[in-house]
Amino acid sequence: MTTAEAWKRKLADLMPPDLAREIDVFETQIELRKQGKIDERVFAETRLRRGIYGQRYDNGQRHDGIKVQKLKLPSGHLTKGPETVWDAPGMVRIKIPFGGLNSQQMEMLADLSEEYSDGVSHVTTRQDIQYHFVHIDDTPTLMRRLAAVGITTREACGNVVRNVTACPLAGVCGGETFDVTPYAKACSRFLLGHPDTQDFGRKFKVAFSGCKEEACGLTSIHDLGAIARKKVVNGKERRGFEFYVGGGLGSVPYQAKLFDEFLPEEELLPMTQAISRVFARMGEKRNRARARIKFLVANLGIDEFRRLVLEEREKLTSDIRWTDFLATVDEQSEVPLKQAASLNGAERPAGFDAWYSTNVYHQRQPGYVVATVTLPLGDITADQLRALADIASRFVRDTLRTTVEQNIVLRWVSEADLPELYGALKVIGLGQPNAGTIVDVTACPGTDTCKLGIASSRGLARELRARLSEKSLELDAAVKGLRIKVSGCFNSCGQHHVADIGFYGISRNINGYTVPHFQVMLGGKWKENAGAYALPVGAVPSKRIPEVVTRVTERYVRGRVQGEAFQDFISRIGKREIKAMLDDLTPVPPHDVDRSFYTDWGDPREFTITDMGVGECAGEVVSQAQFTLAASEGELFEAQICFESGDFMRAVLGAYSAMVQAAQALVKTQNDSVSSDENAIVIEFRTRFCDTQIFYDKYAGNKFAEYFFKAGEALKHNGGEIGKELALQRLQEAQLFIDAAHSCYNKLGSMKSAGRAANAPAAGVEAR
Amino acid sequence: MDLQKISVKFFVASPDGVRLAEFIDIFNSWIQGSDGDYYDVADYSHMEAGPGILLISHEAHISMDNADNRLGLLYNQRQPLSGSNAEKLYFVFRAALELCLRIENEAALGGRIKFRGDEALLLINDRLLAPNTEETLRAVKPELEGLAKILYEGADFALHHNPDPRQRFGVFMKTPRIFELDRLLENFGGFGGRLEGVGAT
Repeated sequence: MTTAEAWKRKLADLMPPDLAREIDVFETQIELRKQGKIDERVFAETRLRRGIYGQRYDNGQRHDGIKVQKLKLPSGHLTKGPETVWDAPGMVRIKIPFGGLNSQQMEMLADLSEEYSDGVSHVTTRQDIQYHFVHIDDTPTLMRRLAAVGITTREACGNVVRNVTACPLAGVCGGETFDVTPYAKACSRFLLGHPDTQDFGRKFKVAFSGCKEEACGLTSIHDLGAIARKKVVNGKERRGFEFYVGGGLGSVPYQAKLFDEFLPEEELLPMTQAISRVFARMGEKRNRARARIKFLVANLGIDEFRRLVLEEREKLTSDIRWTDFLATVDEQSEVPLKQAASLNGAERPAGFDAWYSTNVYHQRQPGYVVATVTLPLGDITADQLRALADIASRFVRDTLRTTVEQNIVLRWVSEADLPELYGALKVIGLGQPNAGTIVDVTACPGTDTCKLGIASSRGLARELRARLSEKSLELDAAVKGLRIKVSGCFNSCGQHHVADIGFYGISRNINGYTVPHFQVMLGGKWKENAGAYALPVGAVPSKRIPEVVTRVTERYVRGRVQGEAFQDFISRIGKREIKAMLDDLTPVPPHDVDRSFYTDWGDPREFTITDMGVGECAGEVVSQAQFTLAASEGELFEAQICFESGDFMRAVLGAYSAMVQAAQALVKTQNDSVSSDENAIVIEFRTRFCDTQIFYDKYAGNKFAEYFFKAGEALKHNGGEIGKELALQRLQEAQLFIDAAHSCYNKLGSMKSAGRAANAPAAGVEAR
Repeated sequence: MDLQKISVKFFVASPDGVRLAEFIDIFNSWIQGSDGDYYDVADYSHMEAGPGILLISHEAHISMDNADNRLGLLYNQRQPLSGSNAEKLYFVFRAALELCLRIENEAALGGRIKFRGDEALLLINDRLLAPNTEETLRAVKPELEGLAKILYEGADFALHHNPDPRQRFGVFMKTPRIFELDRLLENFGGFGGRLEGVGAT
């Protein structure tokens, strides 16, 4: 009997039958794929829908800083998806609905991380848990062991309903309207595997929040967001939701649109189902870059979208699951382990006060608090997770939740127990203070493990965290309350758009070298469920980002007027002043002067992944192109100034003009006599770069070029008013197009060098 | 009992002399010289008592591991091994020792790191195959004692088993005698031809 078979037999009576069957099916599909009986694309979506992701280097090669190495993967040509080698380590995402965990589940997560991963469980920005470096052959057993404790990876990835998130304070928050936990749980169960959610063009994310003012639920950035509301109807108080649809981050963020000011609780699930059906039927399927529901809502307009959904709602056949959970919503409240007692007079161990000031939240239930366990970069070891399960059993029972800030909270702690709890956390290395402060930097996996990562988000976060921790006691209170969030690319998994200070990874070509940079984003609003998105300020070399943080925060401390929020401060001083403040940080020293700029945080390899020698002739053309690219950024900057001043029309015109310049820069690399005529540039750009797929992102496809063409078409055909949201969207698209133009320019350099290398004797893939 | 997923850790004698981050560069240089054997480096230097810095490969994960705040080299065999249990134990111990020596000799560290030859930790990273029980200990003990006798040249030694059923099966092997690592490696000669058939299945 194989180990997998032995586990299956051992766990047979512990798994819910539907999950057990689902895992059996997946195991069969693995076998069929090995036999070549399932197409690799079909298998890829199959595994994604079970939470089994690819991971960086799973195409079987990796640049080691000198050359590209072909990794020794014994599976040979067997793949688990396009360009994804079977034996390459992968990632497993585990859904934790509303972040709720119990001790038994934590113990299992700890065990599995040791046996199949690298001993670390990583809490994500959507309350999931992720493992890295997992072999796909181990995944059925891993899933069975999870299923035995009531956890599934099903639909953690793929074009389906992802983990349903909720405020980690739900049920204990002093400001909430009511506890959204039972609704989030019911929604998660109802949508999991539902036939109406299986034919989406893209993923679908749902979030619940107990109030409108705080950040915890982040409903504005979700495809579907529900904020608890009460309303008196016919003299009786009723529960319901302020219901939003069509939000999302990604490369161009959209604020969710109000669908219904008050959706009665009994309509929550049927309306969600109706929305799912409309999205499945009418959402984009072919163009992945336009397939999120936010584009459908934007294209139709919220009124027409609502009309279609309500029409769909009328057609639905009644389902008992829509309302059967309502009978027990008030019974599901958690039961504390200990009696409520205040902290009065208790002895406070060293370090306790600092931890108490940032990691403790007073519940609305007197005498009880929520204690946040700060996880650096969202990581927790197996030993820590097991010990935390013990701590939970000792102090609170099973009332733990993961948070979107990559921490874990213990709810229902009797306040009098806090010193003892703190001591216990310290013993296992989890007594760090600064939860929810500027020190507690959030980051997506970035280049550590993500295939899409451009720069090292975790490396930068680690560095910022270390530096800010050192001076956390000296930080001004207003600065300490800020949040930093880092993404490794424009896709915003680190949620950089909703941070006070956000960064996303990009690259720039400097004298033939590719240099890691981060785009600086300032002024996002975390509160009010992510009420406003940050604006890009400029690209800064990765190694100078810590200095950006220092300057921006020091300037804020010096320049704010009394009580001024960071967003208001940034808005008041304006982009021009911010840019001037950071301008001297943008130059990159020559490679032979300071090589450190050409490597990323925590990674000694030369940043570029290809040989990039530049000859004199090419260099001349290159400098023209680079000059024009720089000019396009200047143009975009001016457009952003117009936006700030409220001149949205000029902002849109400027954004488009910047894109034209960036396109012209690329055309110049092939035709240095290209005219300045916009139409000629568009035609040349389309012919030389789009038709040839030179301007093509491996993962985003033609998305960025489409931004450019769409902006031009829109200006020709739309003579009407330009709203703030459209202007903001156009500016963000222009920024992404220019970033993509830089990447394309780098790619051209690589192609030239590769051509030279191919003609050279004993050519290899060696970089300098 | 067919032992698989065997891990062995040798501990650093004076861990204060090195920073975890230094092993990122070292492992990266190993990758450069490996021709595709090693896949990646994972950096967990920000975690207290964590897995430290890992070098990922198909065959085994190698890490400068800081679990329990005790820095050491952990060799974590991932792929199945053939041969008898004794042969598999020897294979993993030898692989770990060779890597420890390689680290001791790393030019970048300038002799700042020494591993203790008098103590090692054996883990079986599979709770189904080797639950952390007395029964597993009874099954593994003869092979482990045989290995210790040869490795420690017949000197006294003790096996300490942590019986916590939630932990992976683990045994500390300790001797009061001081051993250099190259001496331990030499002692593998005592196994004669017994290791020839061992390797990945």
